Amino acid sequence: MATGLVAWPAAGRRRRRLTHEALTGYGLVSPSLFLLLVLLAYPFALAVWISLTDRVLGEPGRFVGLGNFGKLVGDPLFRQTVWNSFVYTLSTVCLKLALGLVLALLLNQEFPFRNGVRAILLLPWIVPTSLSVLTWLWMFDSLFSVINWVLLGLGVISRKIPWLGDPVWAMASVCIVNVWRGLPFFAVSLLAGLMAIPRHLYESADVDGAPALRQFWHITLPLLQPVIAVVVLFSTIWTFADFQIVYILTHGGPVNATQIFATMAYDVALVAGRIGEGSAIALFLFPFLLIVILLLLRRLRAEEGT
Amino acid sequence: MSKQTRVPGSAGSPRRLSRRTFLGVTAGTTVALSLGTFIRSGLGAPRVNVLTWSNTLNVMDDVLREQAREYTKAKGVEVQFEFINQTDLPAKTAAAVESGAGPDVITLWSDGPHLHANALADIGDVAERLGKELKGWTNIAQDIAIVGKSWKAVPWGIIPICITYRSDWLKEVGYPRFPDTFDEMLVMAKKLKDKGHPVGFALGRAIGDGNQSHYPMLWAFGGAEVRKDGKTVAINSPETARAVDYRRKLYQDGETADVLSWDDSSNNRAFLAEAVSVTGNAASIYWAEKKNAPQLRDVTEHALWPTGPAGRFGYSTAISLGVFKFSKVQKEAKEFIGWLLQPKQYSAWMGIGEGMMAGLLNFYEDDPVWKKDPKLEVVRQIPKYVRMPGYPGPPSRPAAEAMVKYVVVNLFARACTGTATAEAIRVAENELKEIYGKA
Repeated sequence: MATGLVAWPAAGRRRRRLTHEALTGYGLVSPSLFLLLVLLAYPFALAVWISLTDRVLGEPGRFVGLGNFGKLVGDPLFRQTVWNSFVYTLSTVCLKLALGLVLALLLNQEFPFRNGVRAILLLPWIVPTSLSVLTWLWMFDSLFSVINWVLLGLGVISRKIPWLGDPVWAMASVCIVNVWRGLPFFAVSLLAGLMAIPRHLYESADVDGAPALRQFWHITLPLLQPVIAVVVLFSTIWTFADFQIVYILTHGGPVNATQIFATMAYDVALVAGRIGEGSAIALFLFPFLLIVILLLLRRLRAEEGT
Repeated sequence: MSKQTRVPGSAGSPRRLSRRTFLGVTAGTTVALSLGTFIRSGLGAPRVNVLTWSNTLNVMDDVLREQAREYTKAKGVEVQFEFINQTDLPAKTAAAVESGAGPDVITLWSDGPHLHANALADIGDVAERLGKELKGWTNIAQDIAIVGKSWKAVPWGIIPICITYRSDWLKEVGYPRFPDTFDEMLVMAKKLKDKGHPVGFALGRAIGDGNQSHYPMLWAFGGAEVRKDGKTVAINSPETARAVDYRRKLYQDGETADVLSWDDSSNNRAFLAEAVSVTGNAASIYWAEKKNAPQLRDVTEHALWPTGPAGRFGYSTAISLGVFKFSKVQKEAKEFIGWLLQPKQYSAWMGIGEGMMAGLLNFYEDDPVWKKDPKLEVVRQIPKYVRMPGYPGPPSRPAAEAMVKYVVVNLFARACTGTATAEAIRVAENELKEIYGKA
């Protein structure tokens, strides 16, 4: 689009037409731009501003600079929240990548009803998260957990697992649900990447007598790498900002063992009414996520270039 | 794509709708509807929007809907109730306060009038008139709703929390009645657990039951999160240590381990599934048994919270009705609230709840509902023991923040998961200093 405008500067008639065209273009883009500004840029700028004030609900608040952020660093509950968020994000992204890759490789094989299976795989991702997590809540229920019932019945465990009642198990539970929900995104994206790898590379490798593992290592993985990078970056951002799974399953408990940024920000800003501090909690990771986003954009642009 | 949109018509003769007609009709309808709404809002009857929680007992909401219709008919003021999930109320309230737009009347949870005092209109005229007419307000009502010197809300009632227990199992271990002290309860809990009927008090993220079970325990042993000034953190005391030690012992000797994961509905389910013998809850369990477990109605009893060295205490969630300053129908809204708390309306609402709600006007202590069923007699007495989080200080923003951050519940939960008493108290003290330090 833009290159088109620059490419024809000499021709006079052409230029007039293009200027007209450009105006039309700007005219057509402006509603979207307006929406972006109103719905994204303004609330974001407002959130940044609020995080720099000591504002509580219904009162204007004073500018306190980075005071909220400074206080958060000293808050033991917040430090635990940071730790929990990293454990939650890193462990689930790693698991989703490993399992997603295995799943994508399996789905790339020839087998009956392949397309049907691929479609079913997307279900966890399509079902509204809050609904599916409510189902998980029942499966983890302290009294009626079907998982415990099955494991006890099979003799795998001798006493009930306190899924949401024990700090370690609770973190494991929210991670399991996050992996379950996010796995299809990984599997399908990686599958698309796998399908784009030219077959003839494998055929040549076969002719050269390379075993499957070497083919995977030297052909599949390097060619899949751009997709992996994008998927991992996206997932990292989403998982850091996750709210629903933890809020519904544990609400950050027990004893704050699963408190993450979004749930803590909700409690502090909306329930306790301290919205300056709540915004600071929500924005605390913004610089880190910004780097992640920049990396993501660079990667996407690099791919467009190739 | 075809230029025209095909509209399903009668079989065999498809009608076609041109794009121009479609746009014309759509735009015309939109304009007509907007105009209608505009005219209605400007010229029609004044309308009062009330945002409230969707009660666990739907029948109570039905009564409110019916009363709103009655009020509209009698006074010519349209009243519209919107019922939402209790957990969504804070976010909706926050949005209304921040944007200066939303419902005219808002339902406020416990410390709500203090949290949102600046956004709420003074409603003292209605509150004081009700007090005069109906034998005065209980002390706790005034603590909840008076901020500074003005009434910021009209207390609507409390959700009375008491002990709910299985009388048949208690008799089996030698207790014809529920014990009166915490120490006796511990001995009894051990006997019950040995028989396979543990007790259970929510220690998870149960904003209602968790806090309602554990603030009274802390206070009964003489512990408190803050001094009377509402500023000096006082959690680190020998009294708190005794309460924490007691709680750990209760967990180890007489309780189901599940309590650490319990949310607000878990204890109801556990009691109905006959997995626990004792729990702290509203009368909603007894109510639910009507439909879900009628065989348990005869063996389900209520008791007051036990006493400790410092006395008997309770914390029950209170709800109040406030009018936003931004409302354009403040006068009508206040009048409606005053009408809603009159005996004819209030008794009908409280009566159908059968112990789910208790009024904070002294008049309602003698309401016919308490004579309906002898098992509700205990519930009637609850308001006089109720204190709010932050006690002995006044309800305040830091007190509310400490509650939503589960500081007291987590203090006990940590002890039950193996943390030493001194360490659990130290963590709570740091958290409280952080919260009260900001005030």
